[in-house]
Amino acid sequence: MIYFDSAASTPIYKEILNEMQNISLTTFGNASSIHKFGQETKAIIERARLSIANDLGCNLSEIIFTGCGSESNNIAILGILKRGDHFITSSYEHPAVLNIANSLVEKGIDVSYVKPNSAGLINPDDIKNEINSNTKLISIMYVNNELGTINPINAISKIAKENNIIFHTDAVQIIGKVKINLKNQNIDLLSLSAHKFYGPKGVGALYIKDNTNLNSTYFGGGQEKSLRPGTENVSGIHGMAAALRKSIKELDSWAETINRYEKIFIENLNKSGIKFMINGDNRLPGILNMTFPNILSSDLVMALDMEGYAISGGSACSSGSTKPPKVLKEIGMTDEMAMKSVRISFGKNLNEENIKELSNAISNIINS
Amino acid sequence: MKLDKNKVLVAMSGGVDSSVALAKLHEQGYTVIGITLKLWESVDPITKKRKNSNCNSIEAINGAKMVCDRLGVHHYTLDHIDSFKKNVVDDFTKQYLDGRTPNPCVRCNSYVKWGNLIEQADKFGAYYIATGHYAQIERIGTNINMKKGVDNHKDQSYMLWDINRNLLDRTLLPIGELTKEEVRGYAKNNELETSDIPDSQDLCFVMDGDYRDFLNQYMPEKMQNISNGDIKDEDGAIVGNHTGFTNYTVGQRKGLGLSFPEPRYVKKINPITNTITISKKESLYSNKCFVKNINWLIDPPCFPLSTSSKIRYNSVGANAVIEKHNDDYIIIFEEPQLAITPGQSIVFYNEDILIGGGVIEKYNE
Repeated sequence: MIYFDSAASTPIYKEILNEMQNISLTTFGNASSIHKFGQETKAIIERARLSIANDLGCNLSEIIFTGCGSESNNIAILGILKRGDHFITSSYEHPAVLNIANSLVEKGIDVSYVKPNSAGLINPDDIKNEINSNTKLISIMYVNNELGTINPINAISKIAKENNIIFHTDAVQIIGKVKINLKNQNIDLLSLSAHKFYGPKGVGALYIKDNTNLNSTYFGGGQEKSLRPGTENVSGIHGMAAALRKSIKELDSWAETINRYEKIFIENLNKSGIKFMINGDNRLPGILNMTFPNILSSDLVMALDMEGYAISGGSACSSGSTKPPKVLKEIGMTDEMAMKSVRISFGKNLNEENIKELSNAISNIINS
Repeated sequence: MKLDKNKVLVAMSGGVDSSVALAKLHEQGYTVIGITLKLWESVDPITKKRKNSNCNSIEAINGAKMVCDRLGVHHYTLDHIDSFKKNVVDDFTKQYLDGRTPNPCVRCNSYVKWGNLIEQADKFGAYYIATGHYAQIERIGTNINMKKGVDNHKDQSYMLWDINRNLLDRTLLPIGELTKEEVRGYAKNNELETSDIPDSQDLCFVMDGDYRDFLNQYMPEKMQNISNGDIKDEDGAIVGNHTGFTNYTVGQRKGLGLSFPEPRYVKKINPITNTITISKKESLYSNKCFVKNINWLIDPPCFPLSTSSKIRYNSVGANAVIEKHNDDYIIIFEEPQLAITPGQSIVFYNEDILIGGGVIEKYNE
C-alpha cells in the first residue's frame, strides 16, 4: 500500500516518536505538581511552547495547547462570540468550523457565509461587503483542505483589523508546509494540528494574539490559561513542537521535492492521454483536487485502494456518501463533475517511483 | 473486465452472521471484500438531526470494519439510501395506505442488495457476491437451486424468493449450512469482534420497533388524512371504532378495544370505506388465495403444481396446489390457513428447495 493522502493525515517522524515514547516512559509526573517529577513534565511542555512560538514568530504567551485542530477552532470561535454578535466565515470551511457556525444561530448569533469563487478562493471584497456594526469575528481557512487553495489571508485579516474585527484562521493545512511568521500580522487567532505536519494525532495548538480575550468553553483545573483545562498530553505536545521544528527545517528542500513530484505526476497523466482537470488556483503544492470525467470518484478511490494506492474521494470526513462534496459545489462545480473529483496529496513517505506508479495505476483503471 | 471466480463481495451488516460469512469464505481461500450498504438514516422528529437506523448504525459499520481488518481484507461502505428509499420504504408506506401488510426485507434483498452488490462486483471484477443469510445455494451440474438454511429456526429463504434467478449462479450463502449456534461458536473461536452482537429483531428503518410511529413521521401529511372509522362485524353492523386503518393488520387480535365473549380478529381492512371488519377466529381461515407476478427460481413449471407454501416468515409450510389462470395464480391449500394477509409474501417449496414466490393479493373469504 502506498499512501497519497497526506492532507488527511501524515505518518509521524520516526525519531520524534522515539522521543515521545521516552517521555511517556520517564516523564509521567503531572505538570501541575510541585515535586521534581512535575517540574520535569512542566519543563518539557514549556520548552515545546517556546519552540512553537519561535517557529511561528509569536510570543510564548500566545500559544495554548489543545487536543486537535477542531478543538482549537471551538475554543477560538466560541470564546469570542456572544448573543447579538455577527460572525463572517466562508461556505467552504472544513466541518470543524462550518458546524460551529451552523450551531451559532441557536445562540442568537448572526452568521454570514461568504462563497469562494470558482477558483476556490475567497475574495477579500466579499468579506468587506458582509461587515456590519455587530461583526465581531471573521474566520477564514488559510488553505482549503479539499482544494489546497491558499486564501489571501493578509488582505482579509487587514480588512478585519481596519474594521476592528477579530480575525481567526483555521491553518491546519498550511502550518509546517509554508513558513508563517505571525509577527506584525493581523491574525488574532490561528488553529494548528500536529498530525498534519508529521506530528502525533490528538494534539493541536491555538495561537491567541496577546490582548485577545477569550471566554472559556471548558472548565476545569486551569491549565492552558483555563481555556483548555485538563492534564497536559506531554508527549504529544513535545511531539508537535519537534515535528514543527523539523518540518520547518526541511521546508525548502521539501518544496523543491514536492514541486518535482507534481510535475512528474501531471506529465505522466498527460502522456497517458486520459482526461483530467486540476481544480483551484493558487494551490499549495502537494494537494491536488482532480476531476477525472470518465470515472466516479468512489469507483476510482476503491479501485486504487484494491491495487494498493490510497487516495481520497473528497475529504475523509465525508466519504461513504453519494452526495457530491460540498466544497466542490460551493465553487460552482456541477454535481456530476463533483462526483468525479478526487483529492491526491503527496507526503514525505513517497519517492519519485511511487508518483509514477500512481499515475500509471490511474490511467490503467480509467482506460480499462 | 473478466470476472474472477475467486473473488467475492460480501455484504456485511455488521452482525455476526455476515461476519462469519466473510470469515468462512476467507478461510476457504477466496479473495473477499467486505461491503456495508448504508441504506437508511433516521431523522429525529424533534431535533431534526439525522441519527443511525438499526441496520447500519455507526457501531454496525465499525463492527464490519474490525472484522475485515482482523482478516486483512478491504472494507467499503456504499451509500444506497436513495435506492432503499425508492424501492423499499416508499413501497412499504404505500402498502399500508392500501390496507396491506408488506414484507420490506423481501424487496430490500431483490431490489437493493442483490442488484447493487452485483453492480459493485462487476466493478471490482468479482464473480461472486455473498451474504449472511440462512439459506443455501445448491449446485448440481449446471442446475442451481436455492435451498432452506439447515437451521430450521433461522431459515431466511422466505425473504429471498424475489431474487433474479440469473443471479443465483453468482451468489454464495456460506452460513446456510450452519446453525445459529455454530455461527456464534465460529465467531467466538475466531475472535470476531461481532460475535456477541444480538440478533436484529425489528425492521431496520423503523426505530423503536413501531411501524405506526414511522408512518406518522415519514408521511405526516398523508397520515393526517387517515382518520378514525368504523369497526364492523361480518354482517356489516358497526361494533366499534378504529383509530385509523393503518394501525391494523389482518389477523390482529390485541388492541381492538372491543369486548366480546370470544376473541375477535381483524379479517379485512378496507381503506376506501375506511372500515375494519372483524370476525371470530374460525371465519379467518381460508383455503384459497390469489397471487400475481410469481418469481420462479426454477425452470417455468407446469400447472397445477403441488408445493409446500409458506404464507408468512415464521409459519410452517402448508401443502397447496398452484393453478394458473392467464396471468393470475390461485393457490389452493389442502388445509384452510389462518389469516392469509394481503401484501405478505407467499413462498413455494419443493421439499427444501425454494422454487418461487409472490405477493398475496387477496384471499377467498
